[in-house]
Amino acid sequence: MTALVKAELRKLFTTRLWWIMMLVMIVLVAVNLGFLIGLAGVRQNGSAGIPARDTAEWAQLAWSAGSGGAIFTMILGVVLMTSEYRYQTITGTFLTTPRRNHVIVAKLLAGVLVGALFGLVVLVFEAVTVFPAVLLSGGELSLSASRIPQISIGILAMLALYALFGIGLGALVRNQIAGIVGAVVWAYVIEGIFTGIPVLHPIGRWLPGGAAQALMSIDVDTGLGASRWLPAWAGALVLVGYAVVFAVVASATTVRRDIT
Amino acid sequence: MAAIEINNLVKSFGAVKAVDGVSFTVDAGSVTGYLGPNGAGKTTTLRCLLDLVTPDSGEALVGGRRYSSLPAPVTEVGAVLEATSFHPGRTARNHLRIMCTAAGLPLTRAGEALEQVGLADAADKRVQGFSLGMRQRLALASALLGRPRVYILDEPANGLDPAGIEWLRGFLRHLAHDEGAAVLVSSHVLSEVEQTVDNVVIIAKGRLVRQGTLTELTSNGDTAVRVRTAKPAELAPALEAAGATVEQAGDGVLRVRGLDAEAIGEVALDRRLVLTEVAQERSDLQKVFLDLTEER
Repeated sequence: MTALVKAELRKLFTTRLWWIMMLVMIVLVAVNLGFLIGLAGVRQNGSAGIPARDTAEWAQLAWSAGSGGAIFTMILGVVLMTSEYRYQTITGTFLTTPRRNHVIVAKLLAGVLVGALFGLVVLVFEAVTVFPAVLLSGGELSLSASRIPQISIGILAMLALYALFGIGLGALVRNQIAGIVGAVVWAYVIEGIFTGIPVLHPIGRWLPGGAAQALMSIDVDTGLGASRWLPAWAGALVLVGYAVVFAVVASATTVRRDIT
Repeated sequence: MAAIEINNLVKSFGAVKAVDGVSFTVDAGSVTGYLGPNGAGKTTTLRCLLDLVTPDSGEALVGGRRYSSLPAPVTEVGAVLEATSFHPGRTARNHLRIMCTAAGLPLTRAGEALEQVGLADAADKRVQGFSLGMRQRLALASALLGRPRVYILDEPANGLDPAGIEWLRGFLRHLAHDEGAAVLVSSHVLSEVEQTVDNVVIIAKGRLVRQGTLTELTSNGDTAVRVRTAKPAELAPALEAAGATVEQAGDGVLRVRGLDAEAIGEVALDRRLVLTEVAQERSDLQKVFLDLTEER
């Protein structure tokens, strides 16, 4: 299995897509952080809005911006699977490893590893931007008050698992464009609506994005109302549940299918 | 035990019967040509053999086992299916290295296989710049990685230039006759494989039409001479008198069996008859093949 995971990682790192995706992800997180830094402490319609930069709440909010990278690991997962069909490399893959379940498991593991790597990169990037932002505005950096360790675990888990979700989605639709559009619509539109608007949280908290929020336990009211996430442990369980579902989908749609 | 064994293989795609009860075997040390027009079911047969497609019934075995149950398939079977299945942004060497990694082969095999197919100079170029012939060679290199004893090649000559086809012929003969490998090679162009193969299996519309050794198929059949003359009514009895069987084909054409071209010419000279055409009819293999491919 180690050999197969290595082969899958080699597939990803011998094409250009991975670093392009990583670059775009960092740019997006940077833009988000830019807004959070620029709008910190600005009152909106008389209410609190985004907290001031020297507060622990702001550090919490800023640190959680890294979860925006999940869409990129999901797209990466979609491509990892669908490019095999798009370029018909699936034939060679199954000739080398005719036990298709092994290929799928190796792909899922490789996806989780790469997703976690992306998570680490995001965290490093946040460290070099958020820390100075807090310190320069005279705030104190308290890891426990800003709950950075827990949020970091949430980001790592989210980015790793979204790569896995992408692989499952890719195995299901097989068409690369459809898979990427599906991932974007899911992460930005559906999850964006149901996890972004607090009154919809009773539904949103059962979605992967909401479960990931629960894992990070961000509870900062930015003027839209209080969040109603699941407890952190339940969020983790929901995420694991989705991972199992997507893994089963990936395997079930691939094992018996004729490769013509 | 035959290296490749196909028993009563049946596979339909929807209402279309792609393969309909095909059986044949391929032995070690021989090259078998799997011939048929486009859409005859060749590729489906080969894909069943490699467990990429699940047959409806029957079995397709390599070394007596299903491909997917082989412990180290790449070291037992080398397959070339289509020259298009490469990621365009990846280099040739990286393609092969991925296979080496997954199959547990040393990475150095990638370079060696590229050397063997004459692609060493292009090893580190992206596949998107490759010609069809180069892709075909790369596909062949991937089949060579594990030094297998069985080769399954689907239209490997597609896209090769004449020199490449000549090289491929020699290479396949070398694999079978010098290294003792079993080679199954499909083609829709008879002339591509005629000088290479020992055995021939011909398929059309999913059904087996003919099989046998190349010599069997070419010597057993028709060896008629086609003769055209202005006076067939005079020539025919003269030829029959000389011991030939003559068939009038109309338009002054006679199909003559039992006499060779020289003897026919002598009969015509004796009777002072002018022959406007004398031709050996095509061998049986070619005729069978043409009948199928042209669907006359």
